[in-house]
Amino acid sequence: MRRTLFVLLLLAPGLGLVLAFVSLVLYVAVSQSFGLYNLGGDSVFSLAHWQAMLGERRYWRALQYSAYIAVTASLLAVALAYPVALLLRKPFRGSLTLSALIKAPLLVPGLVAAFLFVNVISYHGIVNQLMLSLGLWDAPVRLQNDKNGYGVILLQVWKQLPFAFLLLSAAVQALPDAVLLAARDLGAGPLDRFRKVVLPLTAGAMQAALVLIFIGAAGDFSFQAVAGPPSVDSLATLMTSVQSTQGDWNGAAVVAVTLMALSLFGSAALAILVRGATRLARG
Amino acid sequence: METKGTFVAYLAATDIGMRFDTFEALKGVSFTAERGEFITLLGPSGCGKTTLLNIVAGFLKPTRGALTLDGADLLPIPPERRDSAMCFQSYALFPHLSVRDNIAFGPRQKGLTATEVAKRVNDLLAQMALDAHAGKLPNALSGGQQQRVALARALAVGPGLVLFDEPLSNLDAKLRDQVRTEIRALQRRVGFTALYVTHDQAEALALSDRILLLNNGVIEQEGAPRDIYFKPRTRFVADFIGAANLHAGIAEAGALATPFGPLTGAGVATGAVTICWRPEMARLGPAGVNSLAGIVSSSAFQGAYTDVFVDAAGQTVRLQLPGAAHFAPGEALSFHVPPSAITTVADTAS
Ligand SMILES: Nc1ncnc2c1ncn2[C@@H]1O[C@H](COP(=O)(O)OP(=O)(O)O)[C@@H](O)[C@H]1O
Ligand SMILES: [Mg+2]
Repeated sequence: MRRTLFVLLLLAPGLGLVLAFVSLVLYVAVSQSFGLYNLGGDSVFSLAHWQAMLGERRYWRALQYSAYIAVTASLLAVALAYPVALLLRKPFRGSLTLSALIKAPLLVPGLVAAFLFVNVISYHGIVNQLMLSLGLWDAPVRLQNDKNGYGVILLQVWKQLPFAFLLLSAAVQALPDAVLLAARDLGAGPLDRFRKVVLPLTAGAMQAALVLIFIGAAGDFSFQAVAGPPSVDSLATLMTSVQSTQGDWNGAAVVAVTLMALSLFGSAALAILVRGATRLARG
Repeated sequence: METKGTFVAYLAATDIGMRFDTFEALKGVSFTAERGEFITLLGPSGCGKTTLLNIVAGFLKPTRGALTLDGADLLPIPPERRDSAMCFQSYALFPHLSVRDNIAFGPRQKGLTATEVAKRVNDLLAQMALDAHAGKLPNALSGGQQQRVALARALAVGPGLVLFDEPLSNLDAKLRDQVRTEIRALQRRVGFTALYVTHDQAEALALSDRILLLNNGVIEQEGAPRDIYFKPRTRFVADFIGAANLHAGIAEAGALATPFGPLTGAGVATGAVTICWRPEMARLGPAGVNSLAGIVSSSAFQGAYTDVFVDAAGQTVRLQLPGAAHFAPGEALSFHVPPSAITTVADTAS
């Protein structure tokens, strides 16, 4: 009893702050989406804001789009981080430099990277100039703000790769050499070693990476604002536009609650699905 | 193993060298093993045993030398396609797989059908008395059980050659003796060739058909356990295997001039030599030849014998005397060593 109390006391400052803030945000957002806690008028419980938003096409498109970016970016980042983490499992000449390079995006603010990227791929940017001078393209190609959001995905993957890499390297480095050698000794080639030994033994870290990246990418504002397709919003850009252009705090709260729900359930669903897929791959 | 009339050993290593950067871990090791033979690589920690075993397994490529199995060049073949299986010092079981799936890993990898795999796994589970644990994960097993799973997993691929890297070093003494006996019995029954690495001389003496004694990346002596024990060729071999009394002496016409006075030995060397005799060959009391006397400096009762350290002629000698007699420090003791028990050894290899 005294022990439990002591542990709670130790946890209170850190966990307390986090919990207080999360519950405050949740409380305000959920209340506002139901017309309560209203900044611009009477506070009355109402389903009207949800009904209005759920009736809008751009809301559903934004939800779909954010989910698509989050799933694609997290899967790609993890898929790219795995081989690098495995390659860097054992030190070699230049491995430190390589591992520092992978982590470099952590130092560059996302917005800066997005502007740089848009510059590079713009109509008169380096990429177009290069392709033209090499004679590969006859005329400049419009690459910026592509309608599939490839630019945003590329930026997301670039920005999120370090997280996937850090999580996966820790897991991969914890694999005992002898266990991998044993698999090899018993007839497993590189692919079989990966799917039968590495993947199941690092699945926890992979899930953590997927969840983190999914949540980061689902809530993206800056990449979408700078490099995203003009015809569609992400949930975050939709939220600001609903609030700032229409002054609709309650509508924005509906989007905010949707974004939190997507982060929570979407990332969980992805993590569970991918775990299931690795089980199948194990054979 | 008659191939076109010429004799080819089952496993043959010729002049294997291994260099890590500037460090030469193996300096030209050659040996052979016949089918069904139990060969032990014995040597102190760091002498290159694991390196040599990893080269045979295919985990390492030697910087020089040749390696053949059944007459075929082994070096270009990756470990996953070699007819050998390794029992690792750490067991290296797959922690996410049950005992059954651990054992089934190799057979499945070799593409056996589900029924073949099940039959092989069930046979091994029964042989190794692991039936009751088939569904458990490795971390739910005791060290001895994990050891048996590792062995079963290696045997499941039906390898011609089984490689052991200090497989008993993580077991307690009593279990070690038991598993040692089991491994040897299993090897005789199944008939695989064993290349067994250990730093434990008792293990090597008990298990092996032949011992390769490795020191500093070279084989210092190779032979049957009794030969290695009773006819050590170098000071290192004598000292590493069992206990030995080693003293400088001069050999001339069959007689040995030693710090203890003239002794008669079995050696034929002449000139400056190192004389060597085993502590258990000493006998209490004086005799016609090789009688020595000294003062007991310490003694330790070991059950089967008593270890007695005696100061004689300014040297410390060690005797292992059977029986229940006490030897108190300060006590005068006379003993003798039969001439047949005294040999001479070289100070260094080659
Ligand atoms: N990968 C490696 N890189 C550098 N040195 C190594 C490597 N592997 C082994 N060695 C060195 O080679 C020597 C022999 O090692 P090892 O074969 O493991 O010895 P043993 O198994 O007999 O204890 C040791 O001195 C060890 O430090
Ligand atoms: Mg070793």
